[in-house]
Amino acid sequence: MSGIVPIVIAIGAIFFVIYRLRRQAGGSGARPRPVRGGLLVPPPGAGQPALRLLPLPGDTGLVAAREFRVRARGRVFRVGTLLVLLIVSGAIVIPALLGHKPTVERVGVAGALSAPVRAALVADGPGIGVTVTLVPEPSGQAATADLRAGRIDLAVVDGSRVVTDKPTAASDTSQGAQLTRAVSRTVGTAEALQAARLTPAQAAAIAGARPLPLSSLQPGGPGTTQRNTSYVGLLLLFFMLTQYNAWTLTGVLEEKSSRIAEVLLAALPPARLLAGKVLGIGLTAFLQAGLAVAVAVSEVRATHSDVLNGLTPLTVAATLSWLILGYAFYAWVYAAAGSTADRQEQAQSLLIPLGLPVIFGFFVASTAAISGNASALVHVLAYLPPTAPFAMPVLVSLGAAAWWQFALSAAISVVCTAGLARLATAVYSASILRTGSRVSLRELMSR
Amino acid sequence: MSRLELDGLTRRYGPVTALDQLSFSVTSGQVTGFLGPNGAGKTTAMRAVFGLTALDAGTVRWNDRPVTLADRRRFGYLPEERGLYPGMLVAEQLEYLGRLHGLSPAAATTAATGWLERLGIADRATSKVESLSLGNQQRVQLASALVHNPDLLVLDEPLSGLDPEGIDAVGEVLASHARAGKCVLFSSHQLDLVEDLCESVVIIDRGRVVTSGTVEDLATRGLPRLVVRVAGDRDGAWARGLAGVRVSENDGGALRLVLSGPTDPQSVLRTAFAAGLVTEFAVQRRRLSEVFREAVTHRAGQRQDVTLRAGVHQ
Repeated sequence: MSGIVPIVIAIGAIFFVIYRLRRQAGGSGARPRPVRGGLLVPPPGAGQPALRLLPLPGDTGLVAAREFRVRARGRVFRVGTLLVLLIVSGAIVIPALLGHKPTVERVGVAGALSAPVRAALVADGPGIGVTVTLVPEPSGQAATADLRAGRIDLAVVDGSRVVTDKPTAASDTSQGAQLTRAVSRTVGTAEALQAARLTPAQAAAIAGARPLPLSSLQPGGPGTTQRNTSYVGLLLLFFMLTQYNAWTLTGVLEEKSSRIAEVLLAALPPARLLAGKVLGIGLTAFLQAGLAVAVAVSEVRATHSDVLNGLTPLTVAATLSWLILGYAFYAWVYAAAGSTADRQEQAQSLLIPLGLPVIFGFFVASTAAISGNASALVHVLAYLPPTAPFAMPVLVSLGAAAWWQFALSAAISVVCTAGLARLATAVYSASILRTGSRVSLRELMSR
Repeated sequence: MSRLELDGLTRRYGPVTALDQLSFSVTSGQVTGFLGPNGAGKTTAMRAVFGLTALDAGTVRWNDRPVTLADRRRFGYLPEERGLYPGMLVAEQLEYLGRLHGLSPAAATTAATGWLERLGIADRATSKVESLSLGNQQRVQLASALVHNPDLLVLDEPLSGLDPEGIDAVGEVLASHARAGKCVLFSSHQLDLVEDLCESVVIIDRGRVVTSGTVEDLATRGLPRLVVRVAGDRDGAWARGLAGVRVSENDGGALRLVLSGPTDPQSVLRTAFAAGLVTEFAVQRRRLSEVFREAVTHRAGQRQDVTLRAGVHQ
């Protein structure tokens, strides 16, 4: 897994850049600050700043810590976490339970069918991942009846027809459809061999022919498990981005409408208040995601699932990094939007239009994740910050993104986030400082 | 000795001028009342102290230097529309605000506990703010402005909605904070209600200072006032036709009389005696509402019809 190293480096670089930006957003005035509140790390003595892992301006840390504490003990968080854990557990445990018993496909046989053909039919199973059981049928009618009743999955009638209950679409890649096609091919070949009047030995040799193994220059595409992981990741991203961005919006609105924003802004600048809020809610989100990953890993160990093979760890890492990048990007948008509203009722009307890019990105990316094929649209969306949180992890899971593409997309997102943070702070300050009057775009631009 | 100075503050909201070259100062050691009718610009001026109003002109100074963020950390602010997190625990909220204003964790805890005890709500420390009665919420609010022992305390309408007992309690807290050498400024539109609570006042109207000074000075300055009651004359008919005397109010027969310059209280008393049994006679101080009314009338000349909303409970 040599591809993982550059991506890990890229993720580390992103964290570093975000941290630098946060410091700048927090305003590093020359004046010494009386308060220094460490968020995760207790503040060290003066003169050893290099040891601080999360050196935030004291009040940003205080705001973030309050936000984290209040959110993490709230009911919404507990219920949401439960939901996330259920989704993750379901995605791991259910395939693991189903994976150990291969599907049995029952093929009804009406009329005569020679022993070599019967053997060839049974031999079609393993290639598709199913076990074929032949069920003798007294007549074609009995076979049809059994098909209707679901006692058999398909029927071979008189060695000349293959019948299924429902039509088989050409694009259907399910095991049943694959077997149906294989059986019709095998029986058809047998019929042709018979018509060619070959000796039984020759016929058996040809009937036993199996397709040659395929090899490709490019590495193999994603397996089912991996696609599942990618899709579950998208689902979690969607859920968490929606949830935590809504919190940012309503949180800012709550502070504004309850006027506590005025008490807070009397003591700290808007940029630090906003940064603390975004950071605190983001930490809550990351706590939830971390719990989900921890539970997932322990479940994978317990069920001996093959989820962690192949590109899957990379997909998980990409999903987690885009959870951070995506949240950071959207949080500012939602925070600014929240500050322009005056009442809680207005929150709903803001959340719907703001959620559209999230829904769009999720929809397009999940289509790619399910089909295992990334369209050109997904490749484009992977570089746009609003949709990249969904599109880029899918590209990673499909093995369709090189490390530099991942890094480029992340860099675009970080730069846009930094710009947004400034704009959002300006909108926020203007909205709070002039209560009552709406802020026009021109006023913002002239600031 | 610290000093807050508002110098030439001007703020316009479109065609409305909320602050019009507003200048005054607040010194430490006394409670200063910031008075005026609703819409006079009190809230806008107080927000300006905390940088919450974008000013068109003017400066706010603290000890002769423009106010900085570090200064503001040492200020306490009680906004008019109370600002607390409804779902947060009372003690936690006070500690949080204390820490934002620069207290260490231990000091914040001590201060929060101390204030809750002093205001008699120590038993509600672990309740959510939204579960408290309105009166107790206001106590928490007051504590939140005081928790870091601010050098300057600014309270916007701290008395609105309080019962007389609550008003006394707030008055006591403000007085003791001022006596500890701090600056205390509070606003009210109920001019007569605050007379006993503050040592000096700044009265504003339409964004400008109308008058200011110590309560003592303002109350004893101006025209003399008498309260006279003549038994049986509930309408105060005896006072009609008295030269140089204006009846400013009639409280069930007790007339409040404003005497213009040359009129002598003795002559008023004689007229009252002639009219019947005098059951009440007192020389009185000027009320702040009267100070306001007279100052506005004096300034505007033609503005005789000033409708003072002072003293009107909303």
